[in-house]
Amino acid sequence: MKKIQTRMFWMLVVMFGLALGHTAAYADAAPASANKGSGLSYGEYGRPTTLDPITSNDMISMRITELLFNGLVGINNKQQIVPELAESWDQSADGLEYTFHLRKDVKWHPKSGEEAKPFTADDVVFTYNIMMHPRTVTPLKVRYEFVSEVKKLDANTVRFTLKRPIMNALPKFTFKIIPEFGPANAAFLGRDDPFVQNPIGTGPYRYKETTANGEIVLEANPDYFKGAPKITRFVAKPFADQNIMNQALMYGSIDMSVLVNPRNVPEIQGDKRLRLQSYSALSYQFFGYNTRNPLLADKRVRKAFTLAINRSEMLSSFFNNQGTVISGPFAPGSWAYNLDVKPLPYDIEAAEKLLSQAGFKKGSDGVMVKDGKRLALTLKVPIAQESESVKRVVLAFKIYLRRVGADINVEFLEWQAWKEAVFANHDFDIMFASWVFDDSADISSLFHSGEIGAWRNNFGGYSNPEVDSLLVEAKNTLDHEKRRTIYRKLHERLADEAPYTFLWTLTNYAAYDRKVRAVQIHPYKFFPYADTWYIGEGGDDKADAPAPTKAK
Amino acid sequence: MKTNYHQDVDTVSEYSQLSAWKSASTGDRLNVVYGLTVVLVVVVSYVLGAFSWLPHDPEAMDLDTMMAGPFTNGYLLGTDFMGRDILTRLILGIQAYFLPGVLAVIIALGLGSLLGVLSGYWRRRFEALVTYFANLIDSLPRLVLMLLVIAAFRPNIYTIMVVFGITTAPTIAMLVKGKVMMLRERNFIESAVALGLSPGVIIFKHILWYNCRALLLIQATIGMAEAVLIETSLSYLGFGVQEPTPSWGNMVQAGANYLLQGNFWPSTAPAIAIMLTVLGFHLLGDGLNNILEGRQNR
Repeated sequence: MKKIQTRMFWMLVVMFGLALGHTAAYADAAPASANKGSGLSYGEYGRPTTLDPITSNDMISMRITELLFNGLVGINNKQQIVPELAESWDQSADGLEYTFHLRKDVKWHPKSGEEAKPFTADDVVFTYNIMMHPRTVTPLKVRYEFVSEVKKLDANTVRFTLKRPIMNALPKFTFKIIPEFGPANAAFLGRDDPFVQNPIGTGPYRYKETTANGEIVLEANPDYFKGAPKITRFVAKPFADQNIMNQALMYGSIDMSVLVNPRNVPEIQGDKRLRLQSYSALSYQFFGYNTRNPLLADKRVRKAFTLAINRSEMLSSFFNNQGTVISGPFAPGSWAYNLDVKPLPYDIEAAEKLLSQAGFKKGSDGVMVKDGKRLALTLKVPIAQESESVKRVVLAFKIYLRRVGADINVEFLEWQAWKEAVFANHDFDIMFASWVFDDSADISSLFHSGEIGAWRNNFGGYSNPEVDSLLVEAKNTLDHEKRRTIYRKLHERLADEAPYTFLWTLTNYAAYDRKVRAVQIHPYKFFPYADTWYIGEGGDDKADAPAPTKAK
Repeated sequence: MKTNYHQDVDTVSEYSQLSAWKSASTGDRLNVVYGLTVVLVVVVSYVLGAFSWLPHDPEAMDLDTMMAGPFTNGYLLGTDFMGRDILTRLILGIQAYFLPGVLAVIIALGLGSLLGVLSGYWRRRFEALVTYFANLIDSLPRLVLMLLVIAAFRPNIYTIMVVFGITTAPTIAMLVKGKVMMLRERNFIESAVALGLSPGVIIFKHILWYNCRALLLIQATIGMAEAVLIETSLSYLGFGVQEPTPSWGNMVQAGANYLLQGNFWPSTAPAIAIMLTVLGFHLLGDGLNNILEGRQNR
């Protein structure tokens, strides 16, 4: 049977895990030279593992590839599809063929001392083929299984043939194009290929160098086809500690922090030099249950756990209320989210009632017992230094559940060990993580019973025929409104089934020096509009922040 | 007959310990008194923790009173980042290093004296071998060895402390060896040998018990101080005791996240506890050293 197609761009971020394995970087006490002139240096929590758009699978790498590469089409800040490398496109009547007419004036970033090579249809075909090669390690492969063939019609025209018509196909062609002459191995792209550390793109910035302390220096591409970007240099500075990153921002050794810790928000708000901008990523945090454990197979137990924890108290105590408590499997900013389903309240009595309905009785040590089995479970959490707020959440979870007689053993594991325990061996009872979605809000890989198995996303082994059929129905419909109705129903079902305890969506904040103007931030890609940002001198930027217009 | 000899030999020791206290300087006495107080507090707290006689539930959180200073709402030493009582967690944190530390000290002393006696008493047969072994262990960096053990097994404080004990043994062996070599030449040992006492009696009673116990006691206090530092550093780095179980090291680490927001207390309280304790053990060792060993010939 064919693998169920996952038409979504999901990404397991578990943001705190990304930087594990990165070595520490230290902020210079004095403003770095990168600040001078019209350069911009931004702080990241950790280093990007790769700089190419295909093998990268962490947010740090993905953000930087936005500056280096372009897709055939782009998405503007109003969520509309706009031309990028393709200046126009045709769609066949049956929705099976997409023909892209490419720009003729696009050149790849030149290697030093060489002529810049032109971008052609060959590069598009090459990129698609290398991306789909079985030995290429990329999270993108599952997204493009609906394509049956990519064909070069002439030097500037390329045609994609689809296996079947799919809804809203155009946004899928935002994947970034790499040059045919780029990778050393033309067949497939591995992380050992020199190209992944020395990327060549078409984007507004060129890769210049990685310094000894891990800073990645990009410089403006004067020949950028949308016009030379106004900021001449971008420097990505890695930090091993969010506190230090915040201090670096406050003392001016970086100009921008892409993700501000909620607890630093008041401090930054109080600084007149800095501007705080929220951007809502389509993501949420949750506790996932392993339904293979007979104790957790009963939805009343899972629901009791959700009732027993005080989510709004945690949100206000640990995150300064920078977020929203959610009720179901979609992010609240998404069109798929069903606002009619209210999050369960904090209600210990109701939780105890559900547990006793499920057949549990309080044992002599205060822990619930059913048929001689104690309600003792292991919660596995990946460790990282950044995870201080995560640590609070999981410890609070343990205490809340102790009040209703569940004995939770919190185990902190190293990132790789955690991934193996949860996704490969399913050796856990409860796990803590977060998901990030794209706009398609496709959750079929999370809850469909066909997605149970090693390294699949349905790690909890959750299986429900009704949910399965709703997911398939949603996937097969080509009508947006119909899909929305199905998703609303799914939301309701999954809120009641509680395969996860859905926690909250946190508001993300970026902070930057006010000298950086016209800043527009994409919810999860962050930098797509950075070519129109500029550095202003003196005064405030309230007057001079025009909405960036995308060059055609 | 033999009993008489025993009694005679019994009183023969290098020095008399009673008069040492009288002739000690005030500074040394203060050091020892402070050190003994710390030891007493640690032992009492250990017992309190072991029987869970604690002022608060160590895991109960109070989200309305997070990171409070001392004397807030009945929290004598304030609360940490989860609103948990710091005093309770400090008392309980002793569980993390006390028994492992004692174990490490026992291993270090046992192995160290064994090697020291072997090489000092039967030099011809063992000295080269023991020196080689001691050099071998000394040549391996201790922390690297511990991290290797952590990598090979699960992070477990007991295995770490076994490594600590073994790696400390050569130092003690060298000290004991020096002492044994010196004693070996002394008249009372020579006479004991001449009188036909078994090597076991001579070594355990006349050498180790009468003449090395001060040295071993001092090494034990210093070893304990080291053990506290190692446990807290490893917990600080996340290799030792894991939350929610308290350790002074992971308390400092957790509190450090909030240091720059002005909440200095949650990490300072355990840091002070570490400082006072390590200082106490070191001063005790130092004072005892001066009183029992250093000034014996005055």
